[in-house]
Amino acid sequence: MLNPYIPMPVEVVKIVTEVDTKDIKTFRLAFINSEDEANFQYLPGQFAELSVFGQGESPIGIASSPTQPGYLEFTVQKAGVVTSTLHDLEVGTCIGVRGPLGNSWPIDYLEGKNIVIVGGGFAFTTLRSLVNYMTHEDNRFRFRDIIVVYGARTPGLLIYKDELSAWEARDDINLHVTVDKGDENWKGREGFVPTVCKEVAPSSENAVTVICGPPIMIRFTLPVFFDLGFSKENIITSLEMRMKCGIGKCGRCNVGNKYVCKDGPVFSLAELDKLTKEY
Amino acid sequence: MEKRLLKKDRLAGIIKNVSRDMLVYAPVKEEDNVLFMALKEGREPLLSFSNSRNAPKTFFFPRTETMMKYTRTSRGMEFLRGGGEAEEAVLFGVRPCDTRSFVLLDMLFDQEKYKDSYYISRREKTTVISMSCVHPPYTTCFCTSVNGGPTSSEGADILLTDMDDNYLVEFITPKGEKILQYFGDLPKAGAADETLKKEISQKAEKEITSHIPAKEVKPILDNNFEHPFWETIHQRCLACGTCTYLCPTCHCFDISDEAKGNDGIRIRNWDSCMYPLFTLETSGHNPRPTQKERWRQRVMHKFKYYVDNFGVIACVGCGRCVMYCPVNLDIRKIVEDISKL
Repeated sequence: MLNPYIPMPVEVVKIVTEVDTKDIKTFRLAFINSEDEANFQYLPGQFAELSVFGQGESPIGIASSPTQPGYLEFTVQKAGVVTSTLHDLEVGTCIGVRGPLGNSWPIDYLEGKNIVIVGGGFAFTTLRSLVNYMTHEDNRFRFRDIIVVYGARTPGLLIYKDELSAWEARDDINLHVTVDKGDENWKGREGFVPTVCKEVAPSSENAVTVICGPPIMIRFTLPVFFDLGFSKENIITSLEMRMKCGIGKCGRCNVGNKYVCKDGPVFSLAELDKLTKEY
Repeated sequence: MEKRLLKKDRLAGIIKNVSRDMLVYAPVKEEDNVLFMALKEGREPLLSFSNSRNAPKTFFFPRTETMMKYTRTSRGMEFLRGGGEAEEAVLFGVRPCDTRSFVLLDMLFDQEKYKDSYYISRREKTTVISMSCVHPPYTTCFCTSVNGGPTSSEGADILLTDMDDNYLVEFITPKGEKILQYFGDLPKAGAADETLKKEISQKAEKEITSHIPAKEVKPILDNNFEHPFWETIHQRCLACGTCTYLCPTCHCFDISDEAKGNDGIRIRNWDSCMYPLFTLETSGHNPRPTQKERWRQRVMHKFKYYVDNFGVIACVGCGRCVMYCPVNLDIRKIVEDISKL
C-alpha cells in the first residue's frame, strides 16, 4: 500500500529572490530519485507539502508547469516556522516534497476557450504555472486568446520579472502588468487590478476567468467580471486554508462538506456559492 | 456464518488462551476506570462491565504515533516509515456502539484515492470481538437514534451475546472464524437460540430510554449554517476538547516534527476542532474565530458533513461526551433543539 504521508527527497538546485523586500523566494527542486519524478504527475493549480528538516510541512502551490520537466518550482513567502527555515536554506540542501495534492485548474474545461487570467501580488504562483502550461508549444493551440492581468503594490513586488518580459515579447499573450504605485523607473501601467480589468474589458463570449489574489482584490474584481457578463461557472478561483495531511483526513480545512485540500483548492464561484462562507 | 453456544464460565479462559498466541486488548479495571489494556499474565479481562472510559478507536488511530523517521545522509535526506508494521491482535469486549465507530472511521481512512496506511494496517491485523449490551449500561446511551443497536454486529468479527447460561457466539467474518479454533468444540446454536437472541435484542432496545431526532436534523442543518441558535450553545464551553478526545468517531489530527542531530521524526497527535489553534493560519486569519464557529463545525461535521460525504451520521450514541463534559453540554439536547428550529 502506498503511504501518502511519506515525502520524496528533492534537492534545492536554484533559489531566486523575487522581490525587493526579499521575503518571497522561488525554490527550484530536483528529484533525487528518478522514479519519484516519474510518479509526480501534476497539473497547474495543484499544490504539494514541502518538508523541512525538523520543522514540519507547509502546503505550497506548484509554480512550475508540467511542461518544464526535470524540476518543480515553489514560490514561498517567508511567514511561519517552515517557510522561514526554507528561506534560510542554500542551494544543495535536501528537503522533502509530498504530492501532488488537490485538484487543478480545470484544464479540460478551459480548452477551446478564451482565457482571462487575473493575479494579484504573490498569489500569482499557480497562475504562472497555468500561463506557462497553456503557452507551451504542445498546448497553445488548445486554447484561444490568453489575456493576463497581473498587478502588485509596487514594481519591486512583481514576481517572475524575467518571465513577464518574455511573455510581453510574445504575440500570443495579451499581457497587462500593473502596479498600485510606480516609482521613478517604472514606465508601465499604474492602477489597481480591478480598474485595469475594467479598462481591458475582456469579452465574456466563450471565455473563462481564473482569478487568484488577496481577498480585497478579489472582492473588487468580481463585480467587474459580473458586469462584463461572466457567469459564476466561468469565474474560477483557488482557496487557502490551514492544512496538515493534504488528503482530507486530518479534518481542519473543510469549507462546509468539502475539504479544500482534497476537493479543492480550485473552485468555481458557482461551486463556492453552494458552500458556507467559512474561509 | 457460524453460530455457536459457549458456557459462560469458559470465556475468560479462552480469551487468556488467545492472549498466549497474540496480543489481546481487553477491558480491565484500572483504579476507578474501565480501560482497554493489553492482557498480560495476571491481568483478568472484565466480562461484566458497562463500557470503557476511553473509546477503543485508539487501537487503530492512537493518540500519538510516529508516522515517519528521517535522517540526514550524504545524499541529503532519507524518509522511512516509522512505528513498524502492525501486529496481529484481538480487541476483545468492544461494545456495539464502539464497534460501529470502526465502520464509520473506515469510510474516512480507507478511501479509494487516499488510504491511511497506518490505520488500515492495524485494522487489517486486528480481530474485533464485540459484546452485546444485553442491558444497555447508561441512561445516556442513544445508539438506536443513530442507526446502531445494543446487540448489533456491525463492524464486529465476532459478536458475543449473553443468553443467561450461555453466550451466543456469532462468527461474523472470516477473520472471526479464524479465532474459532480457540473456542474448542462448541455446540451449534439452533432455531430456539436465534429466537432467544431476537427477544433479548428487542428487550435491550426497549431499555434504551434516550431518544434523539438525529436523522431529522440534516435537512435543517442544510439550511441553517447562519442562525441565531449557534449563539446559544457555546458560551459555557471551556474548549477543553474532552468531547472530541472521548468520541469514538472524532478523527482530527495534527502533524508535527521533532529532530535531534541528524535524526528527525514526524508524529501525529489527536487534535480537536474545539481549539482555536486548529484552524489558525500563519497570517493571523482564523476562519473559525470563536467557540461559536467551532461548535457549529462539530455539530455540522457529525450530523451533516459526514452524511453528505459518506451517507452516515458520525455519532454512535455512546454518550461519552454527555457524561464527561465538565460543563454539562449535552449533544442530545442540542440535536433536540436543532430539530425544532
